[in-house]
Amino acid sequence: MTRYLSLLMLLLVILSGMSVRADDMLMGRIPMKAEIVLEYVRTSVEEHGYKIAHLQLCDGGMTDFGYKTDFYRVVFFGKVEEVRMISADYPELVSYLPLKIAVIAEKNETLLTVLNPEALKPYFDDERIQIQLGRWRNDLVSIFDDVRRATGKHLVAVD
Amino acid sequence: MNGIRILLSLSAILAALPLTVCAAPDGRALYVEHCSACHQMEGQSGIGLPLIREKLEDMSDVYLTKTIRHGRPGRVMPAFQRMSDAQVGAVVGFLRESSGTTGRIYSDERLAGNVERGAAVYQEHCVKCHGADGSGEGMGTGVTTSRERSFLIMPASISNSGFLASASDQMMRRVVSVGRKSSGMPGFGRGKLADDELDDVIAYVRSLGEQQATAEKLDAEERPTHVFESPYDFDQTVNNVKAALTGANFRIFPDRMLEQGLIDEFSVNTRQVGIRFCNFNVLYGMLKIEPRLGVVLPCRITVMEQPDGTILLVIPNLRVVSRWFNNDELVGLWDRMEETFTGIIDEVTL
Repeated sequence: MTRYLSLLMLLLVILSGMSVRADDMLMGRIPMKAEIVLEYVRTSVEEHGYKIAHLQLCDGGMTDFGYKTDFYRVVFFGKVEEVRMISADYPELVSYLPLKIAVIAEKNETLLTVLNPEALKPYFDDERIQIQLGRWRNDLVSIFDDVRRATGKHLVAVD
Repeated sequence: MNGIRILLSLSAILAALPLTVCAAPDGRALYVEHCSACHQMEGQSGIGLPLIREKLEDMSDVYLTKTIRHGRPGRVMPAFQRMSDAQVGAVVGFLRESSGTTGRIYSDERLAGNVERGAAVYQEHCVKCHGADGSGEGMGTGVTTSRERSFLIMPASISNSGFLASASDQMMRRVVSVGRKSSGMPGFGRGKLADDELDDVIAYVRSLGEQQATAEKLDAEERPTHVFESPYDFDQTVNNVKAALTGANFRIFPDRMLEQGLIDEFSVNTRQVGIRFCNFNVLYGMLKIEPRLGVVLPCRITVMEQPDGTILLVIPNLRVVSRWFNNDELVGLWDRMEETFTGIIDEVTL
């Protein structure tokens, strides 16, 4: 019995080691104007159960100061129960909440960028926060995939 | 009987594993996920260098594989060390298929050039674009094509450890000989440089790698944020932070509670506030270097009252955060900004 369990554990360790570790920054390129992509991002974020806390107009602030810049928005979002859990048990992490996605125009395309929550994993030992960071990462990847798919459909529909 | 039960459990677990573990990796999907943001779908470049037919023809599969594995430390491109060999192979396969190239095969044999003579050749023909240290002249590493940068296509950082670990001497020699029409690099073969001069300049480029300065490594003790205890009450601490930021020439934005926007306004914890601030001049300069900075903007100091009445000040550790961008241009600036933050906290908690 112990031998089977050891075998099972070993197999799971090997298989988990085969998965791709995320990079510190997650990025996506969407072949569509940033104003439209932003709306898809907002929709997908909400569909993933998050609430949009606010939208930061980075370009607005810079333009006010006389700088030239392209469309640049940052979407802040989160779940209040997660924010409360972090501020109570992991106050060190509050600087990274709410989560945020930068929506950056590059001519007629859009870059989506986000800090990968898994970049924080090496700093924490306990399983609870490791799971939480992994969950956020999975949601962010899923949001990027959603936007890619949705904008893909949109392009087909226009054609 | 127990054995059968275990085997059944094992089958169930295996069945639940993502298909990607078992199925052959999809090179196109992997390219879209990991590469297209910087190199674009057709490899036209942008943040990353172009991956076009002309270049791919000269690159070996070994070079591409090692480049994916090593990345370019300090030059934005991450090292994809956790991808499986099959996944890296699939990305290389996709590049080959989409560009219609097969790639060259180079030997690993080192060229026996003379470093001193190579330095003179480098100074005459290469320094203008690749820079004295081979890191690629000019500002704008990692900057999108729609933003200000010194060159439309940034000269490769040929002294970068990732590049030198990936490129064989023979491949470098080939590129120096034929040039790169797409990025304006002239070819130095066909008698422009003698064979031994080509060998010499490659030897010199290899020696540049040993001299290249890299971002200072962080201590193992470094944390992603700094947490300080304030000796003052919540309101006094908030006021002290704002006074210190104003004194340091930062513009302060309206306060935002940590939970604001996530729940109705009457339920928000008002004893957890983010004091957000910015210096637009500094920000504008930084965005020219690293357009992805928005993911950590604006700068924020969070003041929190704990249930036991302790007042905490939490600020991100810029030394740690800057290294997540893998952009050495940013690291130097943020290490200095970190000193500014430390000064502000000292003033607040005095």
